[in-house]
Parts: sequence; structure tokens; C-alpha cells
Amino acid sequence: MPHATARADAARAVVFSPLEGAGRAELVEQRLTDAIASGVLRDGERLPSEADLAKFLGVAPVTAREALVALRHKGLVRTRRGRDGGSFVTYDDDVSLRLTEERVRAMSRIELRDLSLHYAAIAGMAAEVAADRASDDDLQSLVEIDARADLASPGGARRAVGRFQLEVAAISQSPRLVHEELRLQAETGVLLWMCLREQEYRDRTREHRLEVIAAIRAADAASARHATTTHIGSAVEWLIDEKVRLEAASAPSLAREEGSTS
Amino acid sequence: MTQAVATGASAIAGRIADVIDPVFALIDGWQHDLVERLSAEPEPRAADLDPAVAATVAAELDRPGTLITGAGFVAAPGYLADAPWHLAWWLSDGNPFRGVPARGIRRLDAVSDPDAESFRDYTTLEWWRVPERTGSRHLTGPYVDYLCTDDYTVTVTTPVTIDDDMIGLVGADMYVARLEQVLLPVLRDADRTLTVVNASGRIVVSTDPHRATGALLRLDGLPEALAPLREAEAEGRVTDAVRLPGGADVVPCGDTSLALVAE
Repeated sequence: MPHATARADAARAVVFSPLEGAGRAELVEQRLTDAIASGVLRDGERLPSEADLAKFLGVAPVTAREALVALRHKGLVRTRRGRDGGSFVTYDDDVSLRLTEERVRAMSRIELRDLSLHYAAIAGMAAEVAADRASDDDLQSLVEIDARADLASPGGARRAVGRFQLEVAAISQSPRLVHEELRLQAETGVLLWMCLREQEYRDRTREHRLEVIAAIRAADAASARHATTTHIGSAVEWLIDEKVRLEAASAPSLAREEGSTS
Repeated sequence: MTQAVATGASAIAGRIADVIDPVFALIDGWQHDLVERLSAEPEPRAADLDPAVAATVAAELDRPGTLITGAGFVAAPGYLADAPWHLAWWLSDGNPFRGVPARGIRRLDAVSDPDAESFRDYTTLEWWRVPERTGSRHLTGPYVDYLCTDDYTVTVTTPVTIDDDMIGLVGADMYVARLEQVLLPVLRDADRTLTVVNASGRIVVSTDPHRATGALLRLDGLPEALAPLREAEAEGRVTDAVRLPGGADVVPCGDTSLALVAE
């Protein structure tokens, strides 16, 4: 079939696909899980009520309830009854580590690469446009974000990456790119920047920032884009190596089980 | 010098200032009221102040045809006894530009816990930093306001000062899309290409439809011609029109810190 025809049909199919579909509870659950794993929602913090959560996320109350039940089963949320009751975040570092690793294992290499491509498309375009649109003040704020970066811890390094990328998106003057940047950070930030566990990669984030700042200062759009997409590319290659390591670590027990059943 | 050419552009620059000036007057009024109210307060509290701020800004945010989409008071860290970091900011619930009528106002849901990951120290942002430094009104933007309106915005802020201490600031947001809608008709009756830029040379609106809002206008000598606008803004004075080497006239729009470039 000619590709052009297939593409038009696919585009039509998206237009008329259900907005309220199956899997919405999983999406809500995933978003809250990411927020808890990344520390955006903190230990002991009270979540909005089912009704509010449903309203904020634009889903049915029953969907919000389903997601909260799943979070409770995962041990990420505790529910207290009574006047001061509600759903509270329970978090510790081990849980965060386990969740992120589970997610890396659950996603295919194809999905991981696709996710990084999507993010690189947004961040790369933002960098390209920012190189053309940055004022001296804009450059100054990028320099300041870099100067304040805490490279001693994975969380500090990730926050610095997030702030820098967000500022670059803001300098592109595009509300849509800023919006996508924020959304993708919330959705994939913890996963994509898992490499920041290693000091070498944390140091690399600074090299990347300096490269991007130099490119923007020179109004060199192609270099700004290239530095950004290369950086994201190296993060996903680390992630795929990590996936291989995690799978190898769990492989021996799998082999034993298979051996015992035969 | 070619007085006649500059006169047309001057008149239009004046009309652009006339569009923005009422917003300046508005927040100057709020600033005055707040100083009066808070000077008498031994221990100012957010709980008492917020309803008063809400009532004040609601009157304007609800007014049909208003230019502003958000407004409020932001406290200096530590000023309010019950809220160390505090934004008392309200947004209009509709978006007149997109055909959504105003349906009252809603409070900006800001992160005021400095330990939270999404907390932003607002004293590092331009709309706070500049008025803090100069002690006067400042126009920030156009910029993507991801903290507040989530849209392409111009923000005007002015410090609230009691006994030489800046205790916070008042301000208002305007959507750039709305400004474009209001300013384009003002620019139309000219035979030159007219572009409104901010003090960084960023395009707000242009009669040339291919000049993108948000891009920098790159003309020889423009950065130098725009440099005095910021100082003039802080001092509330109007600088002179300048002719660039390429022949374009750069005419300040009053003391707004915006300039009209006529090519």
C-alpha cells in the first residue's frame, strides 16, 4: 500500500479514536507514580481528594479511584479515614529505585528510544529557536542556572538539567514548546536522566550546558540543536545499557525456574 | 532632521503609550492603596490581606474589554507573618481573545513551600529583580510565563515600598495575543513598516506579517538605540527618537520601555 494513503488513514483514525478510553486509570497511576518516584510529591504529602483529582486530570471519579487503589497496592499511598483522612504519599529512596528499575525493565528498547526521540524533538527545536531569539538577559539567566547547578547528587543534577531545558524552551518564546517540555519532564525525566547516578554523567551535563550557551551566544542554531539532541541521545544509550544490566541480573533465577519445570 | 517623517511615527508611538498607560495607572493606584493599608498594620498577615487584594483586582479582571488577564500582590520573602513566600495573584477565568467570556476569577495556585521540588524563588525572576534594583515600575516580556498564565505574556510590576523597605510588589499580566489585537489597528494607518519592540529588541507586533512576535528585530545600531530605554523607564522619563544608519527611526513609546521602529 502506498505510504501516503496509509498515513492519511492513520491520521483519520486518530481523529476519531475515543478520548475517554481504556487505560486512563493506568495513565493517572503512571503520572502519580512518576511524581512520587521523582520526589515532586513528597513523603507524607496529602493527595487531592478523589473528586479533585478527577477534576484536575479531566477523568471520571471512578478512574481516579481506580488509580489510587493501584497506588495503594504498590505501597506508594496510604489511606487514612476520618476527619483528617485522605490519601498520603509514602516514599523512600529504596521504593523510588525499585520503581524506576521496574519501569526500565517494563519498557522495550524501542519504547525507550522512541521516548528519547520525542523529547529530543521538543528540546532540540527549542534550542534551535532559542539560539535565534535569546537576548543578553536570556543568556545571563542560562549562565546563572548553570552556576547554581548542584552536581554532587543525582537529584540536584536532574533538577539543574530540568531548569536549564525549561529556560531554553522559554527563550524560544513558544508556549507550546514550554508546555511540552514541562509535560515530558514530568513524564519521563526520572527515567531518561537515570544516568545522573554516575558522577561522570553529572559532569557531562555541565559540558552540555556550556556548549549550548556558547552556541546560543553565537546565534548558531544548528550547534545548539545538535548539542541538545546528542546529550539526550547519550542519556538513552546509558539507559538501554542499564536495562541490559538489570535483565542480566535477573536472568539466572529465570533460568533456574525454567530448569525446574522441565 | 526630517521632522515630518518622525512626526507620524511619534504620533503612533504616543498612541501605543496611550494603550498601555491605563494599566500603569491602575497598578499605581493599587500600590498607593496598599501602602496606605499596610503602613498602619503592625503585623501584616496574608490571611487578612488576600481578600482585600482579591476584591481590588477582581474589579478590573471582570471589567469587559480589560487588557489584563492576571493581577495581584507578591510579598517580599518574610514580610508576611503567616506566609514567608507569598503570591496573592488572581487570573481571569476566561480568555476574551479566544472567545471564552470571563467567568469570574481564580487564584493562582503557586508553590510557596521552598523545600518543594517545583518551588521557584520568584525574587530571581525579571519581574521581581528589576523593580527591586531600580525601585520603579518595570515591563517584563513578551515572555512565556510558565509560572502563572502559562501563555505568552507581558507583565508590568511596580514595587510597594514602606519606610524605604520594599515589602513586595503589585502587578498585572497581559496576553501578547490580546496586545497584538489592540495594537495592530493603531499601527495600520502608516506607509512605513512599523514594528513595536521591547527594550531588548524583541518584536511585540509588526505591520509586516512575516516578522514573528517573539523574534529579535536585527537592525544595525538598534541595540544601542534601545539601550537608554531601560534607564528612562526606571526614571519615568521619555528619551529622544533616534535614526539608525539604515534609515529606520526608533521612537520611544512614552516611558513604557517599548519603542516603535519605522522602516
